[in-house]
Amino acid sequence: MQSNKDAPAGEQQSPSNANANPAKSKLHPSVDLHFDRTWLTQLQERVDRNGPWDDWTMYQLAVEAEQTKLIESFDDLQCLRSLPSFEPMPHQISTARKVLHEMSGRAILADEVGLGKTIEAGLVLKEYMVRGLVKRALILVPASLVLQWVRELNAKFGISAFAQKKEHSWGYDVVVASMDTAKRDPHREKLLNQDYDLLIIDEAHKLKNKKTTNYQFVNALRKKYCLLLTATPVQNDLDELYNLITLLKPGQLGGQSEFASNFVVDKRLPKNEGQLQEALQAVMIRNRRGDGGIHFTKRIVKNIRLQLSAEEQALYDGVTNFVRERYNEEQGDWTSMLSLVTLQREVCSSRDAVFLTLVNMFKKTPEDSPNRAKIWQLVEVIRGINANTKAEKAMELVREMNDKVIIFTEYRATQEYLLQYFRSNNMVAVPYRGGMNRGKKDWMMDLFRGRAQVLIATEAGGEGINLQFCHHMINFDLPWNPMRVEQRIGRVHRLGQTSDVHIYNLCTVGTIEEHIVSLLHEKINLFELVIGELDHILERFEKNETLEQRLARLMLEAGTNKDALKEGIAELGNSLSRIRDEVELEDPSDLAAVNSVLNAVGQTIEVRP
Amino acid sequence: MNERQIHKFVGRYLEATDCQIIEKSPAHYHVKLSPRADRDLTNRPFYWSFVDRTGADPETMSMLLVTDKAKYDDAAAAKAAQPPAPAAAPGSGSGNSADAAFGRSFGYLNNAANLNVRVPREDLHYGSRRLEQLFQSAKIGGNYLCLFQEPEKRTSHPLHSTAYSAWLGVNMKVEFLCDMKREEIHSFGISLATGQCLEQFSDRLLQQRMTPKLPPNVHTAKNAITLNKAASIAEGTLERKLRTYDYSWADAASKRLDEELSTVRHYYEPLIEGAEEENRAPIAEQYERRQEEIRWQYEPRVSVSAINCGIFYLQGIG
Repeated sequence: MQSNKDAPAGEQQSPSNANANPAKSKLHPSVDLHFDRTWLTQLQERVDRNGPWDDWTMYQLAVEAEQTKLIESFDDLQCLRSLPSFEPMPHQISTARKVLHEMSGRAILADEVGLGKTIEAGLVLKEYMVRGLVKRALILVPASLVLQWVRELNAKFGISAFAQKKEHSWGYDVVVASMDTAKRDPHREKLLNQDYDLLIIDEAHKLKNKKTTNYQFVNALRKKYCLLLTATPVQNDLDELYNLITLLKPGQLGGQSEFASNFVVDKRLPKNEGQLQEALQAVMIRNRRGDGGIHFTKRIVKNIRLQLSAEEQALYDGVTNFVRERYNEEQGDWTSMLSLVTLQREVCSSRDAVFLTLVNMFKKTPEDSPNRAKIWQLVEVIRGINANTKAEKAMELVREMNDKVIIFTEYRATQEYLLQYFRSNNMVAVPYRGGMNRGKKDWMMDLFRGRAQVLIATEAGGEGINLQFCHHMINFDLPWNPMRVEQRIGRVHRLGQTSDVHIYNLCTVGTIEEHIVSLLHEKINLFELVIGELDHILERFEKNETLEQRLARLMLEAGTNKDALKEGIAELGNSLSRIRDEVELEDPSDLAAVNSVLNAVGQTIEVRP
Repeated sequence: MNERQIHKFVGRYLEATDCQIIEKSPAHYHVKLSPRADRDLTNRPFYWSFVDRTGADPETMSMLLVTDKAKYDDAAAAKAAQPPAPAAAPGSGSGNSADAAFGRSFGYLNNAANLNVRVPREDLHYGSRRLEQLFQSAKIGGNYLCLFQEPEKRTSHPLHSTAYSAWLGVNMKVEFLCDMKREEIHSFGISLATGQCLEQFSDRLLQQRMTPKLPPNVHTAKNAITLNKAASIAEGTLERKLRTYDYSWADAASKRLDEELSTVRHYYEPLIEGAEEENRAPIAEQYERRQEEIRWQYEPRVSVSAINCGIFYLQGIG
């Protein structure tokens, strides 16, 4: 009740809930003056009842607090003084200023990857909140980025942002949700009935098509200010740009046919560039890296092919046979099939990883099933393995480089095994995993920076690990999702890295791993792609199924037929490298004309490593 | 607010809310909160509704409120380095941080405040959420007042009576709004006896010693005007003042508003015209919504609300 009464009138001013101020007059031809008189009724009531009365010190403190928070000018950046914990970069501050003062809070933030669009959006949001112009904000992002946004808004900006988890989460003032959730019923209806002071959409290039539900949903949301974030406002043709801007401000580029006749020669060739640029300048900011400014150091990739020991090979074959048999038995149940595929991948990592999965599988198998005996048989094979070929090789590499190194594995059990193995060989190694709390993660980082030569990590996501001081990285096993591989590399090979980075991929000959390494390395050329490129390749490739799913399907369907597997993977590889070529070709030549217009909107940022 | 101002502010808040200060330095307060402060600051509505329903004795929380982070951390580090390792020279930075790292790995607690119970630490810098809560709490706790000026010196004569008159005091926040915003604070005092209106009234009050109790040997003059009338006088004074302001910002905002409206008109009108009969309504609705959004975003306006207010009895007939 209290907050309602005290809220400045401006916050409530919105089309659906008109302000209920009694006194109203004209101050100036274009300016209404509203007096909120709730205070007077309240005071009169207390006079009539002779109390209760508040405290004199608190009265003074309240006035002091208001004086401190007072927004004295229309156009300074108030939020900067309330962010002691971090310092935005100059181009981020100037972008925020421009959005606030020249674009009136409706803008496309189209910085190139890595220049901090999230920070810019955070600054704008914070400034509007400090000024009381935004109370309710909705932030729609891809599902995988929800938590990162929430963390960043809370930690860097002190904004109480909440991830949408349950139905009632929509009630919070600042909510971060995935676009896919928001546009579905029952959420959709709820959101369309709200007034949002600010709407932020990350990865807004997913709104480039007018006919999609995404586009129509965002178009229908009621919003005052709106920020669209994308590094690639044009991927294929100029219509995408038109649609994006029309979503933000209908009419900015005229009607569809006007746009076509004024600005388009061909779908990738603009005309009247000067005018187009001017129109863009009013709604879009695109900061780019300086040509010489950001030079990443080199990545030196080495695939290390290893022959499994006879015992390990026996286990791999045993598991492979088991997986095939089970697949033939239970055609159809896709999820249990996936866990079988996992089993096969785990064999390539460590016996410990397989062991854990087998034991769990054993527990879940009914007692009368013949499979129980088969599983147990595999467990017996594991008992026969005493050494881990990969671990020995990793140890050897670590000793040779005699420098900090991070080892990534997909599996907890492998991580535990490696920790114990390194310890028993007098090598100091520390663990890092997703489940650790913030404090422990920071502590592990401290130890790695200071005293340990080796960090063994299962998680590469999250902004917590910046390891520019480390120049070596070993992929003990490789994820099947290329984005996760890129995330791993990004931990080490990023802005601020001053040395070349050495990447070692351990890969066992004659196993599925061998195929994966060749797919990722040779076909996608993952280790040498420019940032952001992988995104484009995958977006085109993964229309219905992810690469991971397709690989799994391929493996199961190939059965024991090694040639079929080889052929299938070769086919995947070919289509991937074809898409890669397309993507690589497109940018420089085809879109050059479009890009030169886009790139004129904003400044060039020299980011020094 | 700088660190020193925050420190002072927090100190006065803690005193006004009867919090029990366990330990303090120029950089921090370690306090056990009073029930009143606990309700406002700890985000435990369920706990407090439990206490209210069952009448249980409330257990309030303790907090470590750090008002100057840099100073506090330096002091804590120096303190931690000294007793357990007298060999490490105080001030040798590397020694301290190594100790701290060892401390963490072996599980030492290097903070005196941590010895018994874990006390949540709050860094109160400008813009921090906890300080914002303190601001809110002060606002809620200092809304409506009724105070008397303390007589300057005790009148020796027991039969002598001083005349006091009542003033309506109100601190107003004026918001100048369009797609941007700025604010001003105006403080008015209106004598209920004469209708005289004073500005910067709040500053005037601060020069007096005020008390909630009617002092002895004081009589109050009869009010000649109602609160309503007094409020209108304040509003009228403010309005006359506001009329003299420069409104080029509002003209600029109206211009933006008109431009935006004409842009969308230019887009939607042909679209509606050219649309099939059955598509017309949804497009028109979209057009309507977009116009509303633009007005919501740009419309220039000034709105006035009260920060707090009260009845103040001051010496003399105003």
